Amino acid sequence: MKGKIRIAVPNKGRLKQPIIDILRRSGVKILQRERVYDCETSNSRFRVSFMRAFDIPLYVQYGAADVGFTGHDIIVERDADVLELLDVGFGRCNLVVAVPKNSRIRTIEDITEVPRVATEYPNTSRKFFASKGKQVEILTVRGATELAPMLGLAEIIVDVSTTGETLAKNNLRQVAVVLESSCRFVCNKIAYRTFEREVRELIDRLKAREG
Amino acid sequence: MKYQRYIEEKLRESFTLWGYEEVRSPAIEYLETLSTDLGSELAQSMFKFQDFDGRMLALRPEMTTPVARMITTRMFSTPEPIRLFYISNVFRYSRSYVERGREFWQAGVELIGRDGDRADGEVISLLASSLKGLGLNEVRLDLGHAGLFKEVQKSARLDPEKERVFRTLIGRRDQLELQKFMSKNDFPSDLKKLILELCEVRKLREAASALDRRSGFRKAKRFTKALSAVADVLSDYHLEDKVYFDFSLTRRIEYYTGIVFEASVPEFGFSIGGGGRYDDLLWKLSEIRTPAVGFAIEIEKCLQALQSQRSKLSTLPDDIVRVLVSSTSNERAVETVSLLRESGVVAMADLVDRTGKKLIECGKLARMNYVVIVESDAKKPLVIYDVRSGLKKRLSVKSLLREVCRSRD
Repeated sequence: MKGKIRIAVPNKGRLKQPIIDILRRSGVKILQRERVYDCETSNSRFRVSFMRAFDIPLYVQYGAADVGFTGHDIIVERDADVLELLDVGFGRCNLVVAVPKNSRIRTIEDITEVPRVATEYPNTSRKFFASKGKQVEILTVRGATELAPMLGLAEIIVDVSTTGETLAKNNLRQVAVVLESSCRFVCNKIAYRTFEREVRELIDRLKAREG
Repeated sequence: MKYQRYIEEKLRESFTLWGYEEVRSPAIEYLETLSTDLGSELAQSMFKFQDFDGRMLALRPEMTTPVARMITTRMFSTPEPIRLFYISNVFRYSRSYVERGREFWQAGVELIGRDGDRADGEVISLLASSLKGLGLNEVRLDLGHAGLFKEVQKSARLDPEKERVFRTLIGRRDQLELQKFMSKNDFPSDLKKLILELCEVRKLREAASALDRRSGFRKAKRFTKALSAVADVLSDYHLEDKVYFDFSLTRRIEYYTGIVFEASVPEFGFSIGGGGRYDDLLWKLSEIRTPAVGFAIEIEKCLQALQSQRSKLSTLPDDIVRVLVSSTSNERAVETVSLLRESGVVAMADLVDRTGKKLIECGKLARMNYVVIVESDAKKPLVIYDVRSGLKKRLSVKSLLREVCRSRD
């Protein structure tokens, strides 16, 4: 007898509500919470667990959750060995390199010294600058990255940008795109073998209801 | 440790029953040897250092190449097929986000000197059988072919970079992206259909028939036909329900030339073992042309998989009886533990002279079954505490042995 399929869903952030909606339209309505993080659904084959979007690649890679929704940027940053089964369509954003508006840096090529880079994405940033042949000092921060240049913590930031509005508000200017991202439906490699039929059926319903 | 040991012993038992002989190889080898056709991911994960004469050395990151090297240097006159197994530590350095141990243990076999479906079938069946022997349930085997992807997509004429992207997409199993990629790169519509079909079929014979229905693909057809033949052999081993086809399976090692496979159980999120055929590796190491096939099982993963299946591991190797012996006369204590050990009972002499409550408490903490106090006067009976029941008895040495042996059986 196969157990229930556990779906990991972000417990906050801009992806959370669209994911809950698309799941409901796909026949997996989240029922009242039993415990804070763990819920039954209207579909007896699925359970939902809420967790930080950043942790979802890890839970899925280790099979603690069978499938999940999270951003492509996070999967890349976590270097997670998971199956990315579907681009769900929403949550589009770019991971960008940005500098203060008055900076002399116009493109990555303009980087000469070893600047400090503040980011929540140290792995992806390190690889990006290395691929451009630029030496940088990476400072890992946990949010409000835009603040770093203002206070002189770093000359450059690497952060997610949807419309560019937040960057502009903080007097920042985009100089390069590191990665294009969107919300992905991911699956543990072994869970895909075990639950292939159910997972593919869910994908077909998610595809039909992409927003 | 005892659980790892239990797994190792069980695997050793299975491999030996199938006629495989154990080998050991040095942990340090020449970097050049270890890197032969390994693939960049594993090659980058090696701990490398210099020998005194400047040659580069490394710690082995896996065991197939060291075993193949042993065969080419030391066993070339052994009649084929050669059946070998190992239980060894391997070393990998990982810069990944996840902090893994740098040293872990693998148990595996290599069957050298035979190709064809029967050799492949034997090794795959041994993998299934040895995992089952550990007490793992619902072991599943996913099979693919190392050369199939390259052959099938050849007519799309992708440059190496695009081919890499394409392979990643297939591995990711995102069908929408896959379709978009194929349309963008002008794949002929029949090739598109074939690739989507191969991504979806799970039976080896269906993969073969997907190719047979089409013209061309001469080499790819030969590969899937070979896979079907292995499927036939595996049904002789009654494994037909456990075996699935996976087009995307590559195992990320470059020396594989034929069938590749992976074993998993539904309750555990990683594959627990896998392997494949590597017919060119021995040639590349020494210009001896010999086909070979093998697999490796990860011992820590087996243990974790057993735990996630909630196997009754705790009752497995733990039914030994342990006895702690204390005496004011060391001579008498040593005499008693020796008698117990001769009858196969685990016995320890208490190294400090203790009696009463303290001694019993110590016996409990050390997971003893019995605590025995020996009087210095050989004529007096022994005092025996049964740690679990708390009962105290006075017995002669003979009766003690009888009692202990009874509780063991």
